[in-house]
Amino acid sequence: MAENKNNYAVHVRGVSKTFGAGTTAVTALKSVNFDAREGELLMIVGPSGCGKTTLLSTIAGTLQFDAGEIDVFGSALQKMSKSQTTAFRRQNIGFIFQEFHLIPTLSAVENVSVPMLINGASRAAAEKKAHALLAQVGLEGRGHELPTSLSGGQQQRVAIARALVHEPRLIICDEPTSALDKENGARTMELLQQVARAPGRCVVVVTHDNRIFKYADRMTEMEDGRIARVHEIKDGQSPEFIPN
Amino acid sequence: MYHIALKMLLGNRSKYIVLVSGITFSTLLMTQQCAIFCGLMLWTTGSIQNMRSKIWVTDPKVEQVNEVRQLRDTDVGRVRSVEGTAWAVPLFWGLQQAKLADGTFKQIQLVGLESATLVGRPYDVVAGRIEDVRLPNAVVIDELAIIRLSAGRAKPIGLGDTFEINDREARVVGICRTAKSFFGMPYIFTTYDQALQFAPKTRKMLSFILAEPAEGWTAEATARSIERATGLRAYTENDFFWATIRWYFRNTGIPMSFGITILLGFAVGVAVSGQTFYTFVLENLKHLGALKAMGASDGLLARMLILQALTVGFIGYGLGIGLTSLFGSLVLKKGEPPFMLPYQVPLGALAVVLFICIFAALLGIRQIRKLEPAIVFRG
Ligand SMILES: Nc1ncnc2c1ncn2[C@@H]1O[C@H](COP(=O)(O)OP(=O)(O)OP(=O)(O)O)[C@@H](O)[C@H]1O
Ligand SMILES: [Mg+2]
Repeated sequence: MAENKNNYAVHVRGVSKTFGAGTTAVTALKSVNFDAREGELLMIVGPSGCGKTTLLSTIAGTLQFDAGEIDVFGSALQKMSKSQTTAFRRQNIGFIFQEFHLIPTLSAVENVSVPMLINGASRAAAEKKAHALLAQVGLEGRGHELPTSLSGGQQQRVAIARALVHEPRLIICDEPTSALDKENGARTMELLQQVARAPGRCVVVVTHDNRIFKYADRMTEMEDGRIARVHEIKDGQSPEFIPN
Repeated sequence: MYHIALKMLLGNRSKYIVLVSGITFSTLLMTQQCAIFCGLMLWTTGSIQNMRSKIWVTDPKVEQVNEVRQLRDTDVGRVRSVEGTAWAVPLFWGLQQAKLADGTFKQIQLVGLESATLVGRPYDVVAGRIEDVRLPNAVVIDELAIIRLSAGRAKPIGLGDTFEINDREARVVGICRTAKSFFGMPYIFTTYDQALQFAPKTRKMLSFILAEPAEGWTAEATARSIERATGLRAYTENDFFWATIRWYFRNTGIPMSFGITILLGFAVGVAVSGQTFYTFVLENLKHLGALKAMGASDGLLARMLILQALTVGFIGYGLGIGLTSLFGSLVLKKGEPPFMLPYQVPLGALAVVLFICIFAALLGIRQIRKLEPAIVFRG
């Protein structure tokens, strides 16, 4: 990886993305400039359809963009081939989804071990690490259970363990708490906050859920495919504005 | 990741069972029908197997062993004198009526062996002596005859018992084992001369001439030599065997009706297992998409699918072949329906099963390649 300038984890310049063509074309990102720093938990908020998920997908390397530059920990995404992008995601990105996306026929440990296996680790090494991470998220001893026998909050914690097991530098979360109750949402965010504070890491969270705004270090507000405002948040304080 | 692929497959118990039973049923249907077909084809050559001879000489028009066109008695001498022939003997073969103790009639296949040499004699005599067919009115019957000809007797027909062939008394002096024939009738062996007495008189009575190549001659060369010298048709044993089987292929509906069932087996395999596997992939697309987002390459996901498909294929195939073998071992004990499983049949079925699996996996792989990893963020 190239030298990382200004402690930026993610550095987005002039990124545009249009879906479809002709009369049905939707421009979801309009020359977006955006940064996330190492060691921070950054939230992206904004009204439905403003392009939050689209921005997150381009940063994560799961969606190709039309113009602009994206630098993630020194890697320039616009210069990568498809297979290089796949390898980049495999090594550098941890994913946390709204719907958890755990594989129902695999035990918690097996689910957590998947990213390491994709990276070519042995089964024994992957499962050892997976057990350790499950313990970190408070699920010690429940590794052999299937996702269906765990509560929603527990499933999301399994998903967090899975997002961290291969030690990625960037953790990408789309609506991680919207399927959870208040208590489990808070627990999830506390975990993500700890993760973000670890050196050389960054957590980007897209959310609608104003109950969790207080966990953000900074908050980026989007409107209609653009970044409208960026808020610095003082420790432990809820920001005074409420989007929507 | 391969154990993950297997867990994904086995964890979906109901799909897995449908997949495996589809392949099992398909394999069973294909191999079992093929085996019955092969068995039936083998039955058509029953007489060739029962009366072993290196060369069969027939009327020029004869195309297979179950078709008899009588030759002249003098033809035996003509064949004997052909260069490359060590010896040649007459054989009588004909369907005749046997009258049983209870007064009913049964069809039999009467075989008359040249009495000096008994060439064409049954090779597995289980009671009595084949040489005793030279005694007046003597016959050697096969085990099927015991079942067929015992009606109206206190105990099954055996050595020393008599019955009638075309109003002439026949006395049993031996019992032998024979290969089943296409007509499913018992074989009754006697001498050539006595066979002519049992059978109704016609102008020509000689059915086949059995011949042996001279030393230094191949059966093939002798057969050609006989054909050139006599204008008769001369088959080597192997040629006659395949000519007979080819004849039934061309001139009966048997291959067609079996072919349809075998195709049905194939269709079941494709429809049930191929389809189910494809829906299995579609249902898993969400998870496969997540794996793709997490950095699994198309190649890795494709190998996982192929592993899943092959696992189902090999297990289903194994069960199917197992069931066919079980069916075969039961059937062979009973003697019918016909059954023969040459190694080409399971091998062919394996190829078909692999084709079905690879085909299903390829359909799934196409879906995976089209899959955008970004879908994981969409509800
Ligand atoms: N694959 C796609 N094809 C076509 N249009 C799309 C696609 N993905 C997103 N869009 C459009 O792009 C715009 C931005 O969508 P996006 O999902 O990024 O919004 P969002 O801010 O995440 O919304 P929400 O809060 O509802 O999740 C929307 O108008 C959406 O309809
Ligand atoms: Mg969204």
